[in-house]
Amino acid sequence: MIRKTGYLGLGVVLGAAAAATAPQALLFVSPSAYAAAADTYRQLNLFGDVFDKIRNDYVEKPDESKLIEAAINGMLTSLDPHSSYMDSKAFRDMQVQTKGEFGGLGIEVTQEDGLVKVVTPIDDTPAAKAGVMSGDIITAIDDQPTQGLTLDQAVDKMRGSINSPVKLKILRGAKKEVKDFTIVRDLIHVQSVRSHVEDGDIGYIRITQFTEQTEDGLKAAMDKLHSEIPADKFKGYILDLRNNPGGLLDQSIDVVNSFVDRGEIVSTRGRTPDETQRFDAKPGGDLSGGKPLVVLINGGSASASEIVSGALQDHKRATLIGTRSFGKGSVQTIMPLGQDGALRLTTARYYTPSGRSIQAKGIEPDIKVLENVPDDLKGKDDMKGEASLKGHLANGDEDTSASQAYVPPDEKDDNQLVAAVDLLHGVKHPEPAVKADAAPAKTDPPAAATAAPAAPSDPGQAGAAKPN
Amino acid sequence: MRKGLSYLAYGAAAGVLLVGASHDALRAAASAGNEKLAVFSEVFNKVRDSYVEKPDDEKLIKSAIDGMLTSLDPHSNYFDPKALQDFQSSMKGEEFGGLGLEVMMEGGLVKVVSPIDDTPAARAGMMSGDLVTRIDDTAVKGLTLKEAVDKMRGPAKSPVRLTVERGSKGDVKEFTIVREIIHVQSVRAHLEGGDIGYIRITQFNQEAYDGVRKAFDHFRADPGSSSLKGYILDLRNNPGGLLNQAVEITNAFVDSGDIVSTRGRTPDQGQRYSARPGVNLAQDKPLVVLINGGSASASEIVSGALQDLKRATLIGTRSFGKGSVQTILPLGENGALKLTTARYYTPSGRSIQAKGIDPDIRVLENIPDDLKGKVSSMGEASLAGHLKNGDEEEKGSDAYVPPDRDKDTQLEAAVELLHGARAETLRSPDPPAAVTSQ
Repeated sequence: MIRKTGYLGLGVVLGAAAAATAPQALLFVSPSAYAAAADTYRQLNLFGDVFDKIRNDYVEKPDESKLIEAAINGMLTSLDPHSSYMDSKAFRDMQVQTKGEFGGLGIEVTQEDGLVKVVTPIDDTPAAKAGVMSGDIITAIDDQPTQGLTLDQAVDKMRGSINSPVKLKILRGAKKEVKDFTIVRDLIHVQSVRSHVEDGDIGYIRITQFTEQTEDGLKAAMDKLHSEIPADKFKGYILDLRNNPGGLLDQSIDVVNSFVDRGEIVSTRGRTPDETQRFDAKPGGDLSGGKPLVVLINGGSASASEIVSGALQDHKRATLIGTRSFGKGSVQTIMPLGQDGALRLTTARYYTPSGRSIQAKGIEPDIKVLENVPDDLKGKDDMKGEASLKGHLANGDEDTSASQAYVPPDEKDDNQLVAAVDLLHGVKHPEPAVKADAAPAKTDPPAAATAAPAAPSDPGQAGAAKPN
Repeated sequence: MRKGLSYLAYGAAAGVLLVGASHDALRAAASAGNEKLAVFSEVFNKVRDSYVEKPDDEKLIKSAIDGMLTSLDPHSNYFDPKALQDFQSSMKGEEFGGLGLEVMMEGGLVKVVSPIDDTPAARAGMMSGDLVTRIDDTAVKGLTLKEAVDKMRGPAKSPVRLTVERGSKGDVKEFTIVREIIHVQSVRAHLEGGDIGYIRITQFNQEAYDGVRKAFDHFRADPGSSSLKGYILDLRNNPGGLLNQAVEITNAFVDSGDIVSTRGRTPDQGQRYSARPGVNLAQDKPLVVLINGGSASASEIVSGALQDLKRATLIGTRSFGKGSVQTILPLGENGALKLTTARYYTPSGRSIQAKGIDPDIRVLENIPDDLKGKVSSMGEASLAGHLKNGDEEEKGSDAYVPPDRDKDTQLEAAVELLHGARAETLRSPDPPAAVTSQ
């Protein structure tokens, strides 16, 4: 999997379901907007006038598509930071992203000092099998140097049709050993759900982003955990949403429904009636058997992640551990524009079941636990959050402070995870215990606590790509 | 010569070229069925209908226009009505209420480059090098130069209080100065060393040519003018201005020949401007033109023409390299569009776009240590989206002129050249006049 770190900048799509907006007539004016119509015409005519003057008089023949694209981009930039224009290529990329599969090598990459760096190879992909390692620097792709390419361009070069080969030149380690790889592309599934048994009696589930694969992935993970942990020993779940930038709205609703059986999950409000909707849990959807639940969040948990953690917090279904979440409380709708890509437009705000908007505020965890950040990452590990994005939708008293978004690669060092395990095991903490209102957490009598053998750490859970 | 003004400058702006209304109507009709425009309308309507908050139509369209123009070259922009007004008054050399200071930004403070003669600032005793730290009750630190200038300007007869640090000891002084109408002079002239006519043009606004004509009148009125050795035309840090002014001013030094030609995509953007006989004010006297990295556009038309016509010797550093012409296209009550409509070519047919003009004699100024690295102009070739001009583009050139005339090496070189005190020979007017023989 190649995940573009740029995507973590909350280029997140919620509610692609509403995408099939019927094509609209040009210059459509609703009767009630009659008074405003004249001015709207005037504005649109002004634009047409400028466009014509450029077409006719600019020193070089302009590319009209480029002009219009730049105009649309300019217009959308004046709105909130999550509204944007996607050209046809960006639109395809986004579809790949939300669908969760593409032809590629299976590495997460980031850009460092102009070079492409491997964050981690994904288990069981061509890159992992060929021996590409975390920290490798990719200096050339098919003999073309990566220096000077953007991360997007490099990623595009690595992706391609299944069974086609690609050559990578790699520098490895402090000695900058040069290695050449020829790797054959395969269908890469963006695994959005990973799970393992933690400490022998806890079901750990990590969702990296909310794609079309998430609901099925979660069901499979929960089935597997139930088969691995005897029901009488099952202490509960940890749902890890740290550094999860969001994704599809319907998927986040399904995820909540897998832990609650009734009640409201989220509601959205826009300017038009069809943007105003309420989503409730479907009875029979709860797969969790009422076991206690801890949700891990941090400054990189945004959007769909906040819908899930906000709903589970409001329902008193889960205890939230970690640091304050990102604070993106808006919904984008994808509106295809024929051959010309698509418009991603912020069409609504969403509200948690208790009616709060987390926009530019984020969700406070019930138990705040910080990670120990290594010295060389200090200052780089904090997420500034929605409230510091230029042009964000305003929401009263906002929280502009940064929130930690670091997850240690080694589980042993992961304070937040350790706190979650301790809480589910009933190990005493000064903080409040597991919430047990809605779902009576049948905490088994604290069995001669401690000394449970540490579960083998799952390599799949490491390597959460760092935002920014 | 064509009437109607085209504008050339890289910084602020001016000039109008009227486009006939019927022509406009025709164009509007032509684009009515434009598919691309339909895509834009569709997006505009979607935003208006579905955005989470009610958007401001005017802001949407303005952002769209700005976005579209940004995708062109760096000199095309949109002026809303207020910006258009500012632009037009700056081109008219219009007056404003102020103090009469030329200022620049240094270390976050406003530094006085020079008080303008016979203005309230000069009479109050403000001096070159003074650092303005407060304007009324606002600290200057943190303001942009434009914000500071806006605070110093105001209606005539209103007072303004300045706190100033002076000299190496930073003596603090306070001035309360009453604003007056200040006339921006684009041309200044004096006799240099008694026998050289020095003319400095700060920008090519609508009064520039008149200013040059008055400068010659002034020289002629001087009793010593009959023994003038020649002229120095100082175009350093002159960002440009109006095309017709550049043509007229070149014509003040030559009798015949092409001055500049422009070429756009449409025939009416292709024009040739030639010298008219009988308006050469300088006659045959030798001429030195001073240029540097801040000499752009109209300045480059003048110096390029005078170089190609072998009329002047150019001294200084390579010029900025803006070889394009902008036209102001009015948009009715909605302001105007400043659009790059043509490239221009010097009489020998070269385009200086992204290359600049190399002086005949390269002379560098000694830049004080604290300004090193801050006084180079990056030049056209380093602007994002600049019009391309082959492979041999040139970036960056010094743009420093010492405030103290005695330290001005370029000016000194020009004087020496005109006095015959340099190894290089002075380029003589064609036909060669009896060179500096006295």
